[in-house]
Parts: sequence; C-alpha cells; structure tokens
Amino acid sequence: MPTRGKALQQTRIVDLSDDKSIYGVKLLADMGADVVRPEPQSGDPLRERGPFDEESGDSLWYAFFTSSRRHFKVDENSSASLYELNALLGCADLCFLGKENPLSDKVNAEAARARNPKLVVVDVSPFGSTGPWRDFKAPDLVASALGGSSGVTGDDYTPPLKLFGELNFTISGAYAASAALAGLYHAQETGEGQSIEVPVHECIASSLEHVFMWYYYQEHFPNARAQALERRGSLHWTNLYVVMPTKNGAMMVTPTPNIEAQLAWLVEEGAFQDLLDPKYEEPKNRRHYFQRLMEVIREWVAAEDTEELFFKAQERHAPYGWVQTVAQVAKNPQLEARSWWQTTEIGARKVQGPGVPFQFLGTPGYVAAPEFLDGDAASVLDAVGWED
Amino acid sequence: MRPLEGIRILDFTHVLAGPFCTRLLADMGADVVKVNSAKRAAANNAPSSPYYAIWNRNKRALALDMSHDRANDVARSLANQADVVIDNFSLGVLDRWGIGYEEVSASNDQVIYVQMSGMGGGGPWSDFVTYAPTIHALAGLTYMTGVPDGGPIGLGFSYNDHQAGLHGAVAILSAIEARRQTGKGQQVDLAQFEVGTAMIGVSLLDYFVNGREAHPCGNRVPYDKFAPHGCFLCRPDGDDILEERWLAIVCRDEGEWNALCSVMGDPEWCRADSFSTAELRCENAEALDRYVNEWTSEMDANELMYTLQEAGVPAGVVQTGIDLAETDPQLKSHEFIRFMDEPHPGLGETFADRLPIYFEKTPCDTYKRSRMLGEDNVSVLADWLGMSEEEVRTGEEAGYLT
Repeated sequence: MPTRGKALQQTRIVDLSDDKSIYGVKLLADMGADVVRPEPQSGDPLRERGPFDEESGDSLWYAFFTSSRRHFKVDENSSASLYELNALLGCADLCFLGKENPLSDKVNAEAARARNPKLVVVDVSPFGSTGPWRDFKAPDLVASALGGSSGVTGDDYTPPLKLFGELNFTISGAYAASAALAGLYHAQETGEGQSIEVPVHECIASSLEHVFMWYYYQEHFPNARAQALERRGSLHWTNLYVVMPTKNGAMMVTPTPNIEAQLAWLVEEGAFQDLLDPKYEEPKNRRHYFQRLMEVIREWVAAEDTEELFFKAQERHAPYGWVQTVAQVAKNPQLEARSWWQTTEIGARKVQGPGVPFQFLGTPGYVAAPEFLDGDAASVLDAVGWED
Repeated sequence: MRPLEGIRILDFTHVLAGPFCTRLLADMGADVVKVNSAKRAAANNAPSSPYYAIWNRNKRALALDMSHDRANDVARSLANQADVVIDNFSLGVLDRWGIGYEEVSASNDQVIYVQMSGMGGGGPWSDFVTYAPTIHALAGLTYMTGVPDGGPIGLGFSYNDHQAGLHGAVAILSAIEARRQTGKGQQVDLAQFEVGTAMIGVSLLDYFVNGREAHPCGNRVPYDKFAPHGCFLCRPDGDDILEERWLAIVCRDEGEWNALCSVMGDPEWCRADSFSTAELRCENAEALDRYVNEWTSEMDANELMYTLQEAGVPAGVVQTGIDLAETDPQLKSHEFIRFMDEPHPGLGETFADRLPIYFEKTPCDTYKRSRMLGEDNVSVLADWLGMSEEEVRTGEEAGYLT
C-alpha cells in the first residue's frame, strides 16, 4: 500500500458497502485511508452498473465510486476464505456494511468487536434495523420519493422527479463518512469502538432545506398557501431564484443579495420598465414589487447572451449561475486553474477524471487507481499486510 | 457522552452550507461557538428567523462587533483556543479581521482552518458570488435534473448547501485524524463548486472516457437497464397538485419485473415480446409506463406501496413535507421529529429533525434550541478564555461584545 502523507493514511477500512454508502467510503479512501473491498467470486454486482468504457467494458460507475481501494475476491463457500475475511476486521479501524453487498452478511461484526474493541462498524441501510419499513427495498428513486426530495423537484407539467444520478445516496454516503470519523475519533480518545446505524430515509429527510420549515413555521411566510410547497420547476421557495431562458441558453437568475444593485443595473441597461414607480416603495406593495422585478428581469434576460450576462453579473457580485451541460463543466476554467481534475486508470488507459472535493493544504488527497490482489485467502491476507 | 465532546469549533458561517456543517458536528457533541453580530443578524442570519433556528441548534452564541479592535482581539484569542475555525464568507474576510490562517496558525499550529467559499481560493472565478442555485447551475445539476426537451428544471431545494456542509464535516474530522498523526493542524479549502461537480462524477468520467454527454432523462436512469423506473399517478386526494398521489416503482431485474406482473394480475401485455427483456422494456419504456400508469391510476398509492413491497417490488409514495411531518410511520417509529429542550424566545416551541446517525455507545439525543444574539457571551468567554462575567458585561457596555 503506498503511503502518501495523506490525512487518513493510518486508518484501515473494510469496505462492504453497497450503493447507499459507497460514496462515503470513496471520500475516506481518496483522503488516504487504507481501504480493502472484498468481493464474491462472481464479482461485485456493482461492477454491472453503467456507463461502461467502450474499449475495456469496465464500469465507469464502479471506477468512480471505488477509487483508491484494494480489491480481492473471497470464496463464500470456503471456510478458510471467510475466516480470513473476518480476520481482517480484527485489525481494521472501520467497517462499512450495506444490505445489498453480498458479503455483508458473511462477516460477524460482533465477534470482530470482541477481538478488536476499537472497531467501528457503520451499517447503512434504507430505513435502519427497526420500524415498519425496515425491510422495504429502496433504490434511489424510491428513496427519493419516500424521503421527500422528489416531492419538491419537478414542475406542474412533469411528475415528481428523481434528482439526477446518485444524489440521494451521496447524501447518505457523506453522512456515513461523518459518522465513521466521529466514531473513529471517539475510539481513538477512549479505546471504545461501537456500531453505528445510518438510515438513508432519515438522511434524505434531514437535507431538504425549507421543507420542514415550511410545515412548522408557515405563518412566517406570507406566500404560503399550504404547509407544503407544490412542484414549481426551478423557482426557489423565496421566489427570488429561478432559471430563465436567455437568447442562447439558460441562466439561474436572482436579484439577491443586493436588490438595489440589481435595480441600478436594470436602470443602467435601460430595462427597468415601471420599477421606479413610487407605488412600489409602499410596504403594502413590496410583495408585488418583487414579483414585478422578476418579470422585468425575465424580459431583459431573454434578449441577453448567456456567457456575457454571466460574467457581467459576477463582475457586479450578482450570484447568477450559467446553466452548464456536462461538456461545459468538463471544460470549466476554474476547475482547470485549481488543478481539480486528476488522472485515473480505466482499463489500460490513463484518463482525466473528477478530483477530490476538498483541498487539504497539508495532507492533500488524490484519487488513486484501484489495485487488485490475486491469490488464495492466506496470500491475499498477507498482501493486505495488516497486523493487530 | 457524545462522540465529539472536547472538540472546540469557532464558527463564522452563515446561511446554510456552513451552519449545516457545524450543526452536524454540534449534534455529535462538539462545542460550537457561533459568532454573529448585531449588524449581520438580518434575514436568514437573524436568530429570530425560523431558517436560522433550524440550522443553528446545539451551538452557543457569541456576538462580536468586528469593527472594534477589541473584538478582533477576542476573536484572535478564541481562535488560539480552537481546534477548528470555519467560515463560508467570500475569501479574505477573516484576513481583514486579523484572524486569517497565517495569523491564527502562527500562534495555534494545531488549528484546522476551513474555508467553505463558493469557488475556492485561486483561479479566475475565485471571487465569484454563489448560492446553492448558482452552484447547481454551474455544476451541471440544474441542466441534468429535468425531462427530455423540457428545459432545465433543477433541484427543488438547496441540495448543494447540505452536501457542502456534509463534506465540510468529513473534511474537518479527517483533518483532526491527520493532526493525531502529524501533530499539526492545516488549512482546508473547500470549494462548494467542486462538491457540486463531484456529484456528476460518473457522467464526467463517461464524457472523458467515451466522449458521451449525458442529458436529462426524467425519472429514467441514463446508464442502466431498469424499467419500469418512474413515478406513476395514483388515485388523487383532490385536484390540486399537492393532492395528487404519485407512487415510485422500480424494477431492476427479472425477479422484480415478474413480481410486478404478478401483482398486476399478469395482464396479457406483460408477456408481450416488446417487454420480454430488460433491454426491450427500456427501449419501449414509454409504452410500458402507459400500461403501468393505467393500472395505478385507480389505486390508492399507500396501499399499493405495501402490496408491491410485500411482493418484493421497490415502491414508495412520493411524500410531501406534510406526509413526512404527520403520517410517515417510519419516521414516527424513530421519533425523527423532536422538539427542542425549551421554547425559543422569538419562535416559541421549535422542532428538531433528529440526527440520522444512531451511535450504539455515544447516542446523540440532545437538541438545544438555537440561541439569541450574544446569549452565551458569558459562558463562552468564561469557558474558552477564563473571562469573568464582569469583564464580559464591561465588553458589552463598550460595544465590542453585542
């Protein structure tokens, strides 16, 4: 295992996560933790997740989510192999479990903790181990529906929408990583390990910004007509952030945080229409003013070039957001200037890929290529090189 | 005992991303001192606002007027005692107050100094101003969340603020672990834009490796052969969009598909050649969705969810905030919604959504209401700097403590 002077280089992790926390393990692995990911003889089922490299056939989903780890196969029918798998837990700091990982139920975490009292076991499941829905299946869309994120995403002409990609499970993954590190901190301070449960359903429900606020504090919001907001496209709950079409694209537009500066800009552009009418200064008309302001901005933005408008806005410290496609993100000059992209290995090729989402100035992380350990159980254990 | 007891965090964050980060750490027992000021305590940063109350529970409140030199001195002294100093201002604000990384680390080499700016330090966009919807747009999340040919819709809430906050917590705890090994703290530069961009990592890799660009695909999945995979309209509770009832149904393999067919009563169309394999079901997803929707349209969403789950088919009702707060039996069984320890001076009884992490040995069941401006001046300055109550009151009279 290479040592790179990385933040978590002395942390050993057995990764038996499934898609609900695999992103959290990735965060720790890219920060230098020594992570092993055993898989069954038939292969890790997550290797079947698309998209695939058209040359090698390798899963790119898998390459992204299982970076910086060492992989090896375990024979579920061999007691020696299972013994060695369980032996790893005896010298690990952290173990992640996921219900849909086929090896998750092949380890005896309780027995491992008896041998290794500092071990922290993080079990991430759709709903936790108790409650009426504990056995429900919840892939991302179902988790998103039940957890509340789909209920507020979409428009009146669409069904409730799933957040693109794995955005719900990256939330539970990041929660799981925080939980593991908190457990690790406690174990380092006291010598006491523990088991930790992280229900995905609650992770999603706790990350919905205004949703519970709208329910519990409705009387504070004059535009509230119910204790929940309808699907309303890109329109933010404040009514002051929305995506507007431009001459040649789309822009997320907001007059906040400095509404007077936005008005002054419209005046400069000769696009203010009736916004200077003194009637809007009367408190009773302020709501109407904000509505009218957004209408006027929409008309003005529709005739503007997206790129020019974006840079003009940011020069004025207006937090407009140019709606970017994947290809545009891939060419973003800020990411380039900060050397965010990293080289990764797919099949036999070296390619550019996403980097680590936080930059440590003392112990920087990086996305390492996966390593594969071959051999029988004993030789793999030997190659892992962990000792009590 | 909660797991992070003993960790001291000096918190200059505001709005959501930073406060969500420090809320998580405070929930797990860290001593988080939230620094605010009378000048900045407006809109969502006002302790009387519900928004502030939600994201600042379990923290202590200190009020400093940073235009006073003496306030800067107090802030520097606090930073010297801190394990973590964190802000999500635009870059340079803390430097101007004399508590930038260089100054603080010169006298406290253990400090972990986290800056959660929009774009990170350095680069042509480093001064750009962002909120979560800005990041969603720039990182491709707005474009990708929508329906084909429907224009960008994006996420219905400030997703990236939560995600940046969670990443902030992971970064802080990783840096604390690194400090255990190296004996030194360090600076962490967390660009919220990079967090957002990481969220489309798989699609970026596909772009770089295969030159393929992902586009919005509604509730379908862009890369896997899962069908049906969507939200289906069930019997409504009324005509309003809030009274619609939708059920998410997903079939990822033959087993789940066969189980769905069986629950539907094995209609003839299920066995049509056009739906005989996962590939074909994806190719003919529009027709498949029409059949499924016809079937669900007269059904009760909640009953159908239980029937499908019982049969092994992943299904879930699309829940609103009302459902989550009032009827969700899973959340009820875990007492997910709690009330704070005491009434809030401005808002009365305030609620807490519980930390979704269940520690076996160090349970985190403390939910203290958010504090008013400077409410903890005395206790914070006594605990961290050994100041007497008289000294604090003198500072309040002089105006550098507010």
